[in-house]
Amino acid sequence: MDKPVLDIRDLSVSFLTERGLLRALRNVNIPIDPGRIVGIVGESGCGKSTLISAIIRLLAPNAQIDSGSILWRGDDLLDLEPDAIRALRGDEISMVFQDPMTSLNPVLTIGRQMTDVQHRDNRSKAEKRARATRMLERVGIPDPVEQLDRYPHHLSGGMRQRVAIAMALMTEPGLLIADEPTTALDATLEVQIIHRLQQLQRDFGCAILFISHHLGVIAELCDEVVVMYAGEVVESGSTRDVFLNPRHPYTQKLLDCDPARIKKATRNLPVIGGSLPDLVELPDGCVFRPRCDISIDRCRSERPGLEGSNHCIACHLARQ
Amino acid sequence: MSELLQVNDLRVRFPIKGGLAGILDRERPTHVDVVHGVSLDIRHGETLAVVGESGSGKTTLAMALCGLAPVLDGEVYFDGRLLDKDKNNYLVPDRKRIALMFQDPTGSLSPRMTVRKLLAEPYKIHTGLSDDPDQSALDLLSLVGLGNDFANRYPHQLSGGQARRVGVARALALNPDLLIADEPTAGLDVSIQGEVLNLLADLQQEMGLGIMIITHNLNIVRHVADQMAIMYLGRFLEQGQSGLIFDHPRHPYTAALLAANPSTDPDAASERIELTGEVPGLLKRPRGCEFHTRCPRVQPGCLEQFPDSEGTRAMQAWNCIHPLS
Repeated sequence: MDKPVLDIRDLSVSFLTERGLLRALRNVNIPIDPGRIVGIVGESGCGKSTLISAIIRLLAPNAQIDSGSILWRGDDLLDLEPDAIRALRGDEISMVFQDPMTSLNPVLTIGRQMTDVQHRDNRSKAEKRARATRMLERVGIPDPVEQLDRYPHHLSGGMRQRVAIAMALMTEPGLLIADEPTTALDATLEVQIIHRLQQLQRDFGCAILFISHHLGVIAELCDEVVVMYAGEVVESGSTRDVFLNPRHPYTQKLLDCDPARIKKATRNLPVIGGSLPDLVELPDGCVFRPRCDISIDRCRSERPGLEGSNHCIACHLARQ
Repeated sequence: MSELLQVNDLRVRFPIKGGLAGILDRERPTHVDVVHGVSLDIRHGETLAVVGESGSGKTTLAMALCGLAPVLDGEVYFDGRLLDKDKNNYLVPDRKRIALMFQDPTGSLSPRMTVRKLLAEPYKIHTGLSDDPDQSALDLLSLVGLGNDFANRYPHQLSGGQARRVGVARALALNPDLLIADEPTAGLDVSIQGEVLNLLADLQQEMGLGIMIITHNLNIVRHVADQMAIMYLGRFLEQGQSGLIFDHPRHPYTAALLAANPSTDPDAASERIELTGEVPGLLKRPRGCEFHTRCPRVQPGCLEQFPDSEGTRAMQAWNCIHPLS
């Protein structure tokens, strides 16, 4: 097995708030191997965004790293000087955001924005334009030369998101972080984007960290999946293992809630009772215990660690 | 059951204010038809789901039914009575009988009002419905399953699911007959999505509400809707009983949408009908059947005119000259 391109080890991040320390991420371990597509699933408040911000070092000023490291090809991103991290962003690690309308500049043409992202290259303007054209073609945009002179509002939502992906891949990064890139699109376009991403991943060989709360999209696209709950990784493994044989009670409930899995029409959809724990005053023991149906005494006192070699679960009961 | 809402061939047209470009460019269109001839029925106690991608005109249709978008022509009967139009061609509905739940749950609540004030507001506008608006506000809170302690909170202190519940409570304050819910689960996690939909289903059963749900999430439509309609560029391409459509879609677009829905089973055989091409703009409506630019079954005849509806609306109707058999 190759060494991971990005290796998140024992990462804990907190935010200083008026009420005290809000422990947004606790002891998170996620290795991403070269050329793999890793999906992160979890509901709002599970720490997905904090995790991305930590990787690209864009955490809010009131955040602090309590422990851990984020190794990028062996170097700890958390130790890098601001200049070094700036050189890495966009070049080695690039991002596609949820809403392509707000991530593209509305007053600049597509072509201008696509040449701007190549500002580090010593190429002529014409060469940069030609590269932009080729990249638009690769993401499946019709008449790419014509599109260069158009503005983002001229394009449909699906096309805008493909332009955003083309821009992110311009620099041939080692890691592409995609934060809910298909949430704003309808089902037919969602499938188009997913297949395009798979294709591009094969061509460029970059690793992809794909964040979504759409379980179906993760199952379709990703090689591996990491399930997060309230700032912790509760289960991780190959997509097949996790989706076909979920072992953490939270993963099981999350999958049960997905209306796509309930084939018979029902007016009474399953829900996960209770609510997320308060991350300022964390309960002792397992973080999912208040909402878990099968908890035992041990879950109240002892926090389960993430254990296993390929299919990892953080639960006292799942291992038995 | 009797018809609560009947819409015949509704069209919504927005003018395009061209500015200088409009004066210089004679070819520039002066208007855009966002809803282009929609007919539908909603019966008491039934749910109609309107499905379609962003920009297909779903929200504009909802706005038009609430009197918030200019109607070019078409008739709307509400509880058997034809709705009037005012001089700008907006419909004049009986406002307290048609309630709208907006797409953005937090954004539709005033940030400077407490939940109590937000919920008492409808009673202060439509006087005579409640002697004690504050008490009625608390009753509404418990109706949607929120405790009294929420009454003094501000919208920013609510989670997405809670804000959505406040939105439901506000919409139901005046005992409407028809609830129009614009993307009621957008932005909600799967575990909470069920809560909101179950709440709507329970309230529907108690109060006999007619509901129109606008969504692009097909997974929920199967569970919540009696009837469904597939919208594309301002028209319904297929409509009818949701069970029939899910089992046996006739329009190629419906079939593609249903097949495109990603499954959580990694082994699921993907019988995809992948659509190519882009969604055309409303200003450049394709000739004939508007879907022909992306249709896998397109034939020369499709370019001639928009196909007439076949089948019956109460069962299953489609607008396609080469439907799936």
